[in-house]
Amino acid sequence: MTINSIFLMLVTGLQLGAIYALIATGLTLIFGTLGVVNFAHGALYLIAAYAAVVVSNELGFGLAIVLVPIILFVVGIAMERGLIQFFYRRPHTDQILVTFGLAIVVEELMRWIFGANNIPFALPAWGSGQVLFYGLGAVVPEAIPGLRIPMPFVNGFVFFPAWRLLLIIVTMLTIVALFAMLQFTRFGLVVRAGMRDPEMLRFLGVNVTQRFAIVFGLGALIAGIAGVFGGPVTQVSPPVGMALLVPSFLVVVIGGMGSMFGALLAALLIGMSLSFTTGFAAAAGDPLLKDILTALQQIVIYLVAVVVLLIRPRGLFGKKGVFE
Amino acid sequence: MSEVTERSALGGKVAGIGVRLPTLLTRRDLVVLVVFAIAVLTMPTWLVALGGYEALATKIVIWAIFALGFDILLGLTGYLSFGHAAFFGTAAYVTGLSLKHLSADILPAMALSFVVVLVVALALGVLTLRRSGIYFAILTLAFAEMAHALVLSSTLQKWTGGDNGLTGLASPSLFGSRLSDHSVFYICSALLIAGYVFARVLRRSPLGLMLRSIKENQMRLEYTGVNVFAYKMAAFVVSAMYAGLAGSLMVIYEPYVATKYLYWSTSGEVVIMSVIGGVGTLIGPIFGAGFMLYFENVVQAFIGEQWKLLLGIIFVAIVIFLPGGFADLGRLGWKAMGGVVRSRRHNVPDMPGSVEEDRRRRQRGDLEEDDD
Repeated sequence: MTINSIFLMLVTGLQLGAIYALIATGLTLIFGTLGVVNFAHGALYLIAAYAAVVVSNELGFGLAIVLVPIILFVVGIAMERGLIQFFYRRPHTDQILVTFGLAIVVEELMRWIFGANNIPFALPAWGSGQVLFYGLGAVVPEAIPGLRIPMPFVNGFVFFPAWRLLLIIVTMLTIVALFAMLQFTRFGLVVRAGMRDPEMLRFLGVNVTQRFAIVFGLGALIAGIAGVFGGPVTQVSPPVGMALLVPSFLVVVIGGMGSMFGALLAALLIGMSLSFTTGFAAAAGDPLLKDILTALQQIVIYLVAVVVLLIRPRGLFGKKGVFE
Repeated sequence: MSEVTERSALGGKVAGIGVRLPTLLTRRDLVVLVVFAIAVLTMPTWLVALGGYEALATKIVIWAIFALGFDILLGLTGYLSFGHAAFFGTAAYVTGLSLKHLSADILPAMALSFVVVLVVALALGVLTLRRSGIYFAILTLAFAEMAHALVLSSTLQKWTGGDNGLTGLASPSLFGSRLSDHSVFYICSALLIAGYVFARVLRRSPLGLMLRSIKENQMRLEYTGVNVFAYKMAAFVVSAMYAGLAGSLMVIYEPYVATKYLYWSTSGEVVIMSVIGGVGTLIGPIFGAGFMLYFENVVQAFIGEQWKLLLGIIFVAIVIFLPGGFADLGRLGWKAMGGVVRSRRHNVPDMPGSVEEDRRRRQRGDLEEDDD
């Protein structure tokens, strides 16, 4: 286990965690304010990924980056106004059932339109290739193309796919922007107040309903960003939505339902545990150990969830009393 | 509620009939059961008339067992599980492994899967039942997916067959003679009828009353000193056993274990069946299972692969407009014709949390969470 492979595992962990973080943030935002667990959030990701493929094929990738989140924002608002709003007064189970049904409808719709197989998502020229990290005193041959980033403790130099690095950066920017919005704007203040006590907010004369529609749109918008940048990494095929939704749910549960910061930390935890078990399994020499680690890699996110929930039932940063 | 308690507590002689019947079975029940049994046993005949095929009847019966058990958890107890594939799939794999490596006889296979599912259900129950509502749904979904991931993992591939599923099973036999398609159907039907009787008795029994109280107001029940967790676990395990039985029968019906038996879509299908048919009615989910499989196999012939899309739309429409499922359609029709219907609470109410949860919430000073 060299320093370089550990470094790569760290970056890979960040990248794996990034997609979960984006989806889980949207889920948390919607759950925290509206109290709805959106089983259709993976479907929103799916719509975003397919929209990104279509838009980037027709109009170029640059426009996809701008258009897809906007499309998803509109889809989110339409979904909240057209369907979800009628379920605020219905039992939680009904909310789960209707969003689950919606997820199936979207998945099947995509299967019908685009076929059951993975469709290729070509990266733009500026985003393909590798990024090179080089350590102190490393001699990098001039012939190697691509971006070069100094990284003091790396021994010699290592490569990492440029797109995946971009995904990490975009995720960080998105989350910083979201936190800034929640913390420093008037709208954010209302949303945070709504997460604490929606009834009181209504008494104070704030139009909660209208703002909540926007919150749902925002959650969808973040799924849109995840779809554009994550699509090339995850695959673009009908089952992807649900495949991403389950770990994202776990992220929300591990972090503590309704806690934004907890979700981020949990996403990081899950990403790292995935990348490290994969890394160690690949490096293991003993076949039995390799077998065990490979199996562990498949279930490690669930094991993390079990451990966290046994020790701390409300999740890492769950609010006291909420779903404890 | 008190009426039910008295009836089950008194037992013995049932008014109006001169014979002593088992405490929990009235004459009306007997009529219902006879009609039910005839409907099930003659299914291969009338299903063909409706455009199906004989073997479809077996499949419907198996899924009906699954959905019936699911209703004990969702309909009676009010817990929405998204992970029942874990039991269905585990039983299917254990049965498959037993048929492949141990013996072609179905009895050891079924006994073995019974034991394994029991253990799995107890373990998952301990992990998930401490939560209710949303939390429970998410956790059951997650742990079922864990089982799926584990079976597909390269480590277990040598035993489970990985992505290909478990193939090359011996054709199932009973007491040394090979089972024909017909006998499989009658075995499954007998188990469905027995399962239906059991579920009806369970619903009316003191245990069933407890389960319904958990659904109505878990917290109040806890305040009376009842060990709610034990009852929840009982419902969870019974429901899991039905799912396991169905999974086991599925492999006996078709000696091949598909990986999708453990996949979330299987959990989703049983949820859809139950909701379409009518949660909490016992007969509703059975009807839902029949509807869905008929839809899958017969309607698919007309509209092709889009049947799933159409089914999804039907499901969403039912959740929105008819939360009581098809069972409610019958009630509404009866009412429209001037009949009298007892009011029944639609679908599953929100479960109030545990006493502990409430105490903490009071400390925080906000009680609005439970208002709807």
